[in-house]
Amino acid sequence: MTSPLFQFNQVERLILSNVSFNLNEEDRLVIFGPSGSGKSTLLHLFNRMDDPETGDILFRGEPISQFSIPELRKQVGLVLQQPYLFQGTVEDNLRFGPDLFQEWDEQLAYRLLDYVNLPNDFISKSVDELSGGEQQRVSLARTLANKPDVLLLDEPTSALDDQNIAAIEDDLIDLIEKRHLTVVLVTHSMDQAKRVGTKGLYLEEGKIIEHGPIEELLEEPDTPELQAFLNRS
Amino acid sequence: MERDIPTYSLFLLLVFVMIPLTISYYYSLGLKKDIIWSTLRGTAQLFFIGLVLTYLFDLRPIVGIPIMLSVMITVATFHARKKGKEFPRAFISILFGLVIIELTVLTMWLSFGMISFSPDEVIPMSGMVIGNSMVAMGLALERLKNEFEQNRGQLIAALSLGATPKQAAHLSIKKTLNAALIPNIDQLKTIGLVQLPGMMTGLILGGVAPIVAIKYQLVISISIFSSVSISAIFISMIMYRFFFNQQMQLLKLEDIKKSAND
Repeated sequence: MTSPLFQFNQVERLILSNVSFNLNEEDRLVIFGPSGSGKSTLLHLFNRMDDPETGDILFRGEPISQFSIPELRKQVGLVLQQPYLFQGTVEDNLRFGPDLFQEWDEQLAYRLLDYVNLPNDFISKSVDELSGGEQQRVSLARTLANKPDVLLLDEPTSALDDQNIAAIEDDLIDLIEKRHLTVVLVTHSMDQAKRVGTKGLYLEEGKIIEHGPIEELLEEPDTPELQAFLNRS
Repeated sequence: MERDIPTYSLFLLLVFVMIPLTISYYYSLGLKKDIIWSTLRGTAQLFFIGLVLTYLFDLRPIVGIPIMLSVMITVATFHARKKGKEFPRAFISILFGLVIIELTVLTMWLSFGMISFSPDEVIPMSGMVIGNSMVAMGLALERLKNEFEQNRGQLIAALSLGATPKQAAHLSIKKTLNAALIPNIDQLKTIGLVQLPGMMTGLILGGVAPIVAIKYQLVISISIFSSVSISAIFISMIMYRFFFNQQMQLLKLEDIKKSAND
């Protein structure tokens, strides 16, 4: 049997306490819970944007600290809540990652725009001309440009309106399936959790309350904490 | 012929001070105290420095020049450090930068025969270079902090795409240097057209031929321009590193401050 892609063993960091779980290849894990429960902190441990105070994180069976940090972040891409595009054109943004690793080619740009459903002529557009939804698509394409195996999504649609949310979710699901991506999604939306995720991890005050298939978690919660959370959502 | 301003004329300068005072009073700007204090302080400082210079100019150059340069560099370091007190080793970095810049510029001036090693030439010229470098370092530090605070999102995005701190910070450093250098570039562009620079004006008023005054001005303007550029680049390249830790993670200014105080 192959080892899990990620193994978290008794990880502690800020509010996170005794966090242990595994993430397998092609899992689509949704991390959810109330505000301040440590969801984003946990997400940032996957690509070492943050490190645990105690505990171990293994990536492909090796301690995560043994990987070169730029290489790890290339393989484990992060999409942030806000697009945070760099000044310049859409192309400047798309080629930022590949340029760092000397892997840029012109054709990739058009494939990336296609992945996120933006027309080819967007390539030379200034980022200042884009709408909120378009900016978030470019941000997603920018992360995909590094050809990551794992996609970390930190509430990627929270700044968008309903129409854009549905469209980006569709693109995301399509992409995940086509490219066999492993996904870790932090979200406040239970609808999004159900649509995108296959597994769920419910956090409260930094502790894992429940972990398992997302359908089971959302439809038959075992703990009163999760039941109460779902009733409030 | 040496020109002088009669002492009674200096008292007439009070008329000029009365103008901002009246404006402050009329518009209730609340600057009355500041205007009076800065006028008194500035006047006292200048007379004091006049006495010190008179004394230093009488000393042997090898004694007088190092004393005055040390004082100027130390004061400039304390002043520039105020803008970067959050950073560890800010004082020593600024001091080191100013010493290297001053020594380089001075060596060039002397070896190219632009000025002679006498206090009345070295001290005023060095004062301008050190003063402008001090302002450039302070400005660069201030701007660097703002850039890193305002662009945290972009910096995190760049790091998460696999950029090293140097690659991630490139854009912020570029903006910092632009902001720190543009006033100087503009000044150099319009030199002599919009305003006659201070040194040149001083020399002409002192009876020096305009063409000689221009030569001195050119030496000082180009020297200031390059030392200001070097100062801003030097301090930005040293200080941006403190925004990142060994794990290529972005730190907040308060974390940097904490580590500076530890």
